[in-house]
Amino acid sequence: MSLESLQDLWLTYQSTVAFIGLNGLLALSVYTTLSCGQLSLAQAAFMAIGAYASAILTFHSGLPFAVNLAAATLLPALVAVPLGLPVLRLKGVFLAIATIGFGEVVRIFFVNLDYTNGALGLTAVPQRTSIWMIYAALSAALFVLWRIRGSRAGYALEAIREDEPAARTMGIHAARYKLAMLALGASFAGLAGALEAHYTYMVSPSTYSFTRVVDMLVYAVVGGTSVFYGPVVGATFLTALPEILREISARVGLAPGPLRLFVNGAVLLLVILFLPEGISSLPRRVRAWLRSRREAHAA
Amino acid sequence: MGQQIVNGLFLGSIYALFALGYTLVFGVLDILNLAHQAVFMICAYAALVLVVHLHMPIFAALPVAVLAGGLLGMVVDRIAFRPLRGRSDSNIAGLISSIALATILEAAVLQFFGPDVERFPFGTVPTRSIQIGGAVVSELQIVIIAIAVAMLLGLTWLLRRTRLGRRIRAVAESPKAARVLGVDVDRIISASFFVSSALGAAAGVLFGLAFNNVAPDMGRSVELKGLAVIVLGGMGSMPGAALAGVALGLLEVFTVAWIGSSYRDAVAFGVLFLVLVLRPRGLLGPAALREA
Amino acid sequence: MFASVRSLAATAVALLALPTLSAAETVKIGAAFSLTGNAAAYGAQQKAGVQAAIDDVNKSGKLKGITLELVLEDDATSKEQGIAVFQRFINRDKVSAIIGPTLSTTATAADPLAQQARTPVVPVSNTAPKGITDIGDYVWRVSLTEAQVIPSALKVAQAKIGFKNAAILYGNDDAFTKGGFDVMKASLEAAGIPIVDIQTFATKDRDFNAQLTALKAKNPDFLMVSALVEQAAAIVSQARQLGWNVPIMGGNGFNSPKLMANAGPAAEGVMVGTAWNKASADPVNQAFIAGQKARGNDPDQFCAQAYTGVLVIADAIAQAGMKGGREDIKAGFAKVKDLPTPLGKFSFLPSRDGNHAAAVQVVKNGKFEILQ
Repeated sequence: MSLESLQDLWLTYQSTVAFIGLNGLLALSVYTTLSCGQLSLAQAAFMAIGAYASAILTFHSGLPFAVNLAAATLLPALVAVPLGLPVLRLKGVFLAIATIGFGEVVRIFFVNLDYTNGALGLTAVPQRTSIWMIYAALSAALFVLWRIRGSRAGYALEAIREDEPAARTMGIHAARYKLAMLALGASFAGLAGALEAHYTYMVSPSTYSFTRVVDMLVYAVVGGTSVFYGPVVGATFLTALPEILREISARVGLAPGPLRLFVNGAVLLLVILFLPEGISSLPRRVRAWLRSRREAHAA
Repeated sequence: MGQQIVNGLFLGSIYALFALGYTLVFGVLDILNLAHQAVFMICAYAALVLVVHLHMPIFAALPVAVLAGGLLGMVVDRIAFRPLRGRSDSNIAGLISSIALATILEAAVLQFFGPDVERFPFGTVPTRSIQIGGAVVSELQIVIIAIAVAMLLGLTWLLRRTRLGRRIRAVAESPKAARVLGVDVDRIISASFFVSSALGAAAGVLFGLAFNNVAPDMGRSVELKGLAVIVLGGMGSMPGAALAGVALGLLEVFTVAWIGSSYRDAVAFGVLFLVLVLRPRGLLGPAALREA
Repeated sequence: MFASVRSLAATAVALLALPTLSAAETVKIGAAFSLTGNAAAYGAQQKAGVQAAIDDVNKSGKLKGITLELVLEDDATSKEQGIAVFQRFINRDKVSAIIGPTLSTTATAADPLAQQARTPVVPVSNTAPKGITDIGDYVWRVSLTEAQVIPSALKVAQAKIGFKNAAILYGNDDAFTKGGFDVMKASLEAAGIPIVDIQTFATKDRDFNAQLTALKAKNPDFLMVSALVEQAAAIVSQARQLGWNVPIMGGNGFNSPKLMANAGPAAEGVMVGTAWNKASADPVNQAFIAGQKARGNDPDQFCAQAYTGVLVIADAIAQAGMKGGREDIKAGFAKVKDLPTPLGKFSFLPSRDGNHAAAVQVVKNGKFEILQ
């Protein structure tokens, strides 16, 4: 294996590696609100706000990239607070639908915004994102979620997810926690949006449609939402999958498009039916199965 | 003005047709069946195949497609919903398993029919129009509005006057209580899926006829609007869905006429958002547990 | 699952074992088209076009000893997939030139990679006037931009019908249809024709009655429509259903036989500016059409442009002295002059945009005919 061919391999798959990181961050943003039992589907809108903010700042301000990224992280959180105050009173599916409505309104806003060329979006956005930045952002997000998990806040979130009325009677400020997690999820999405914009050279409203949110949710669910790193596992698996399928479809002579859709759907269905804690629970399950088999042998 | 009212009523009937079946399953199960749009799409293709390849007249193909849709609905329930029943996260899990099933069905259609838009052959339905006070109305539009009304009445009759309907309502009220009363809950849910998907199938075929458009993504074009309709109407309420369908149709049309078409969807989804925040039970929904 | 892991491993081994190419024999051309997703209707025609062209060039023996090899991939009408495909082409398949991707949006995200890697890109369907060849000097566009087609089409239509004002209907949430609209608006303004009303729709819409009714109330002499072909047929049908017989001219999205297939008699009289004069008696064009018919394909403009893309690359190789390296092809493009293609005599402008005659077609008896 020569150095040169290794380098080619890296060059061939570097965008896949980049998108694994970006999709991981997006999956975490869905997971963050989901961790207190709230399904928010406004993440694509937050992503759009981050992406547009960073691109506009890059074109018009001359500020360093780090400052633009910080702005792209903060702005969606600032939008999430006034959004969350009314909608977080809604439960389950109703919250999901309200946030879908919000997401569509934001997308249509950008479609109609002449300042950013409407549907054409902003093109020739300077490429500032390196792959290490994506993974630094992903690690930071994972670190934050990991710290929350062991803390008092983490137990509060778990209590809210399991039984919100009970959590409230225990004196937990459920509304505040839910709002904080919505804002945190929004900032992850905004950061991912900005990083993606400066990686793909462009920002356009069609990137931030309902389909995109569904993708994020699917990453999180396939990976598993019972542990904080599950969504990243799901994003990694599902982002790499098309590349694997491309090879397979070339070999068996099937059209790649429908096959990709089919396998995506089938994986999702199998996971939700048979692995409710996602593929990140697979090693644990295999270990448990091996142990039970050993014990059966011993008995 | 007159023409825009006709446009709005027609568009509203399409929304209502799609939403009736959608909201029925929600009323019974408290679960959004996101595969509804895929059933809607597949059955339009089923009718298309019957008409084009088996040379069936449309009035014969429509019932066959509707029956197929109903059966497909039972399959959807069996695969995507029944295994999840009783799980604590069944709300979100059902949402996702139905997305998964919709994706699989769409992939199948793409594989067999390709991505192109197809249409029913010319002459499948009459294309004559009549003038009503300056507005042009096609015969097909009148038929579709009439079918929408008939379906609403038929569904209301089914739910209020038949044994099956009473049982469906009992399950919707409380599955546990229904079970105690000796109702086979799984069978009733399966029957609800049959009715819901049969309605969705009829909507798909009529949509395909009305817009000369049968395509793998046709379901996606009404999915979100259908969601808005069932929320506006009050989830689980049949008359609410019908009323909200027409209301949304008129709202969209008059946004185009008075404000500008660029803001049509923003107004539609903005209203959805406000209704959820201000009056979560919608127009005719039960005053129930939307809020935590 | 195991099968896919093993196949991945096999692929990895195959990748690493890739021998260094002896470039004189085979020249690889990558083609990235939207075979799935929103633009799949165009991608299918483009695929048919490049496949035929590669076969024709190889059979003709024009490239003495050099065989063109096609590597076809699906960009899935998505930026993400478009970028991934370009990276494969550049680094793994080591293609000498890339044709595609189908949509301008995808091109904006993917073409910069080729520019960085000094790999020539030949867009054969990107019609956005700005932002494509601006990416860099390795991007050589075959497709005419909307700005090259629409103003002259408008002039021809004006001479025929003599309208005094116009209205526009366009899809405002799609880059392709929005780009077409911008050119329509500018062209009407430049021609001094007042625009009485503008209405929009969304890509997923199927019902256009509300917009058409609103436009009809303003009673314009002429209606310009920028839409993808799926919506084009529906818009035309619904306008006629409303009893509105205004002359309609479409943007580039109308350039497909699907328009007549789906709109039927309602499509009669619809005009569209086109980069491909289907009726041209030029022997290259007739041979192209006959070849497509033999393959069971009814070609459209997208097919003809994709076919031409391959011819242009082959000619660049010949111009570079039968050398198929990336730099050779790039240098060869500059020397392509009056190349006979199905689109007519083809050359590049100094801006690296394609240049050949445009035409206006009108639907007559269910077929496109050239409007003289």
